[in-house]
Amino acid sequence: MRKTRKFLNGLLKSRHVLIVLVIICITLILATFTRENSQGPLYTIAGTVITPFQNGVNRVGNSLLDWSSGFKNVQKLNAENEELRAKIDELTAQNTQLIQAQAELKRLEDLYELDQEYPEYTKVAASVISKDPGNWYSTFVINKGTADGLAVDMNVLAGSGLIGIITETGENWSTVRTIIDDASSISGMIASTSDTCVVSGNLSMMDSGKIEFSELKDRDEVVTEGTAIVTSNISTKFLTGLLIGYVAEIEEDSNHLTKSGTLIPAADFKNIREVLVIKELKQTKEMSN
Amino acid sequence: MRRKVVIFVILWLFYILQTTVFQLQTVTGVSPNLLLFLTVSLAFMQGKKEGLVVGFLCGLLIDLFYSRTLGFHALIYLLIGYGTGHFCHVFFDEDVKMPIILVAVTDFIYSMYIYVFGFLLRGRLEFGIYFTQIILPEIIYTVLITLIFYRLLFKINHALIDRQKEERQSLWIRD
Repeated sequence: MRKTRKFLNGLLKSRHVLIVLVIICITLILATFTRENSQGPLYTIAGTVITPFQNGVNRVGNSLLDWSSGFKNVQKLNAENEELRAKIDELTAQNTQLIQAQAELKRLEDLYELDQEYPEYTKVAASVISKDPGNWYSTFVINKGTADGLAVDMNVLAGSGLIGIITETGENWSTVRTIIDDASSISGMIASTSDTCVVSGNLSMMDSGKIEFSELKDRDEVVTEGTAIVTSNISTKFLTGLLIGYVAEIEEDSNHLTKSGTLIPAADFKNIREVLVIKELKQTKEMSN
Repeated sequence: MRRKVVIFVILWLFYILQTTVFQLQTVTGVSPNLLLFLTVSLAFMQGKKEGLVVGFLCGLLIDLFYSRTLGFHALIYLLIGYGTGHFCHVFFDEDVKMPIILVAVTDFIYSMYIYVFGFLLRGRLEFGIYFTQIILPEIIYTVLITLIFYRLLFKINHALIDRQKEERQSLWIRD
């Protein structure tokens, strides 16, 4: 026994291990370079071994973070509380007016038999359990997967805005690529005019919290700072009309036909903890219509 | 055997820490590269073969969840492990200076690999911005981690080796 082991150890020089592993890596790279989706046994095993722990560690970390920041911010919170109370009064007054307006709108809509512009999507809430270990990409993993009916290419929201898209799923986890990721590029449009543009993440602008848009054909010259950009109807993976963000800077390209600039995402990317996944795929939706 | 299990548990723990606690502040913030530190340190203490295997496992874990192409990170991590292994037994491994230099150099190589294959090939040419915003902070953080944790890892590793030797000797006597 000992002899055979010694023999094996002598035979397996580090150079041989190197060659074998490098070949394995290159084969894997070549085999998976163009893959569309991935549902292998390796993922299932990794998912069950890793995600429960990340879930736990993250819960502890988050509660510690809440706890410590809670102490720091008591003073600030008191001031904020006063301010917010004043705001509530103001908003309640406004709200009653709006309810009246809404009722009127409904009545008029009924009158004209208009459909609701954006149907309500069924959503699932999930929490973020881990984030990309490197500093080059911004993807994260959430704690729901195929068991909760999630699938690749489902859109993910946080708060008021679009945050990303599911790129991989396991039984109890899914990977989400955010729209600020450098590899992300989506088709957007100006909500009011339906002029389309391309919205893409850019790592070199990540510090400023902005993302790029380009190839905007602004025929009516209406786009200014603060104009809302939503996902366009020609996008193959993103549902129509999800809020991406607001234009921050805009300038005309050198070809005088299109415009490009930066926009501030509507979702808060600084601390994402809970997200909503829309359980509807653009493709299947179109087919059923 | 016991050493292998402990090293594997440490690796797995580092991976979980790297993806949770060290990324808590922001998605956009820069964090140290714990797995690179682990690969380089073990390769420096134990040699080429261990560096190779540990690097491969570290990279594979990253690939499984965070990379569209399997093997992309595994390849660079295992090459880094193998390369650092050459410095094993050439320098005194309890000294922290050499690991720090190795970590800084390999982290730069690793970052360049990601930059060239992930960004430059897609036409992102502003290397200066990437260097000051990501590569340099990451190297500094990882070097700091090495400065703090290398001794601890060194002690754990030696305790495990001593134990292994004792077991072997006792077996020898029994034979």
